[in-house]
Amino acid sequence: MNHSAKVGTGFAIGMAKQISGLLSLLRVSPTHRFAVPPPRKRGGMWMGVCLALGLAACSPQGDRTQITVQRIFGECRANVPKDQAPLRNPDGECEILTGLIDRFQRENPDIDLKVNVVAWPGYDQLSAQYAAGDPPDVVSIHMSSIPDYQVRGLIVPVTPYLDKAGIDAGAFTPAARQGVMVKDAAYGLPFDNWTQLWHINTGLFRQAGLMRGSEPILPHSPEELLAQARQFKQATGKPYLVQSMINERAAYTRNLYTYLMNQQAVFFKNPKQITLNTPEARRIVGLFKQIYDEGLTTRDQDYPAATQGFLNGQGGVYLGGTWLIGTYENEAQTRGQPLYESYTVKPYPALFGPKQTAYVDGHAWVVSDRKRSAAQDEAVSRFLKFLYDHNYDWSRTGHLPTVQSVAESDAYLNLPHRRDIVSLSHTGQTLPPEVQRQFAIQDIIGDELFSAITGHKTIEQALTDAERRANDLLFHLL
Amino acid sequence: MMSPKARREFGNFLFVAPYLCVFLWLLIWPLISGMGLSLFKADLFGGASFVGFENYSRLLQDPVFLQAVGNTFYFVALTVPALAIIPLFLALMLNRATRTAAFFRGVFFSSSVLSVTIVTLIWRMVLMSDGGFVANIIGFFGFDPIPFLSDPNLVMISMSIITVWWCLGLPMMLYLSALQQVPQDIYEAAALDNTPWWKQLTHITLPAISRTVVLVVIMQCVLQFQLFGQPQLITQGGPNGASRPIVLFIFEVGFRRWDIGYAAAASQILFAIILMVTLAQYFVASRREGRGR
Repeated sequence: MNHSAKVGTGFAIGMAKQISGLLSLLRVSPTHRFAVPPPRKRGGMWMGVCLALGLAACSPQGDRTQITVQRIFGECRANVPKDQAPLRNPDGECEILTGLIDRFQRENPDIDLKVNVVAWPGYDQLSAQYAAGDPPDVVSIHMSSIPDYQVRGLIVPVTPYLDKAGIDAGAFTPAARQGVMVKDAAYGLPFDNWTQLWHINTGLFRQAGLMRGSEPILPHSPEELLAQARQFKQATGKPYLVQSMINERAAYTRNLYTYLMNQQAVFFKNPKQITLNTPEARRIVGLFKQIYDEGLTTRDQDYPAATQGFLNGQGGVYLGGTWLIGTYENEAQTRGQPLYESYTVKPYPALFGPKQTAYVDGHAWVVSDRKRSAAQDEAVSRFLKFLYDHNYDWSRTGHLPTVQSVAESDAYLNLPHRRDIVSLSHTGQTLPPEVQRQFAIQDIIGDELFSAITGHKTIEQALTDAERRANDLLFHLL
Repeated sequence: MMSPKARREFGNFLFVAPYLCVFLWLLIWPLISGMGLSLFKADLFGGASFVGFENYSRLLQDPVFLQAVGNTFYFVALTVPALAIIPLFLALMLNRATRTAAFFRGVFFSSSVLSVTIVTLIWRMVLMSDGGFVANIIGFFGFDPIPFLSDPNLVMISMSIITVWWCLGLPMMLYLSALQQVPQDIYEAAALDNTPWWKQLTHITLPAISRTVVLVVIMQCVLQFQLFGQPQLITQGGPNGASRPIVLFIFEVGFRRWDIGYAAAASQILFAIILMVTLAQYFVASRREGRGR
């Protein structure tokens, strides 16, 4: 029995005696006219023991330092038995992170890691926790949300924790640094970058005559894209693009951001003003509208339907995230599946100019501004260092690594398709780090772009409305 | 010194005091503090500044909010009559002591016990234009799929169908309990006079359960003005804002934009709308009842 267990037991027995004494004082007098027979002494003692054990369980656990970690990515304990390899989907986000946290706890028995798993994106819970004055010590959030919490002083710079762990901010990739640096301070440990990619069905591309050797022929201009899409539809009878269009906002906005960046358009002249009704934006929306009007895309699918639709060979290119690479690669390796030996993935082709880039976001671990002991700060630092050291493990999910040495390592580059997308960890761009409410702005723009693409509003009107609504939001920020 | 009557009344007050305390603490106090909050520019983490009625004037010029108000009224107009009439006819058909009636009472009530998440999952599979249940059936007959969830003219009707399917159990049960209170001897007398069924319905049944009809209508109005889960989970208020109700607007403004002063002002407007509609129905029903006497 270790020291803390002995302390706990002694505390429990002491409390049991005191509570038993209190109960005897509270007992009703037998002379009272409604008195019931007095409870037997042993019953009171047992009740006291139970209460004391309950209180002891709530007391600090001696020499173990407790910190709270909150994460998204789902719950999969049934699939990942404690300290064992995952039973299935070993490259899934949840499986990898559950395994990593188990390993941290095994390797750091002096740290008691209390893990909260919250549903994506987790901000409602986090806001409620902050409002109640009880935020977790370390929490995974999107890089695009860091400005919201940073500007209100809800998170602290992680630079001191990284310094303590011997991690230099220069060790991260450019895209990762952009996502967490605000005014020369890192406000999070970058865990990954993710973006939208072109997931390509090479079997259908070959049928349409759009393969050169083992590589797909990608367009370099809107005109080429439309020509290829028409050729594809004529040859296969299927739409060129598979897109999630129903119950969707984020994808439209990410497409717009990527191709605005491709045209080197400055759409945030300052963090509180967005400019959207521009020739650059109209060109992009016009292209997607034409694709929609000509039936060169799937139309009535939501995210699950589109993800499954591409898997079933319903179209040539799926505009989906980095996290889908593992799922589709597994299908490509499975004989008899529509994607068998027919899958590759590429960054968005540069359609409007020579600059190869993409809008990227990412996940980061941030540290909340709350009172912590020196031991807890040390535990936080060790946890961040552990995550930094295991950046390769996380990159198996398909997300881009944030540690430069991992992005350059053979281990990473030999994973399927990583050589095709690794350049994004250099060329990818986030929004300016001072822009707040990026999620809300993304929703507003996506809302309006859907209206424009499907013809419920003119492109001009939709972009004007998106600009007005987003600027109204930014204007009224405190 | 308290008089015996006052002491007795104070004793009575003690019986309701626990509930009253909870009511004041959890309902009245938040309501008042919400009214106060609506006069401030504030975000979730403080920093409030007093702006008077500016939030209200912003709301009245905000086309997104005005569209949400219109959507909400449209939804209430679609669902409340359906939820007042369909359960009534179900209750009339199932108000008999047979095993078949008991079975169908259970069947029609069963949807009400499902959570909104399950309901939306089921209906997503039914209504999706791409591979949904309805699309497959009409596709079998050679017709194009109907864009239930992506056409702004259809999306609120789809939400109404989902909501009526989900919510008709409780009004049906209320009607059934009311029908079982109607004295059987009136029906027996009517049967002796060979009164046709529709005359029995309009001259005996409906007058006898009129209070329950008013209750159902008021209750459904209050509930349906608070539409949130279905559009939040199926369409996120789209397409083109056509399925965004007031509560979803409040959620987006309060929790996504952290603009809680503005969200509180929208909440007060929703509260006022529900209060006015409910009071109007109550007074109309009371006056009609008074004239009936």
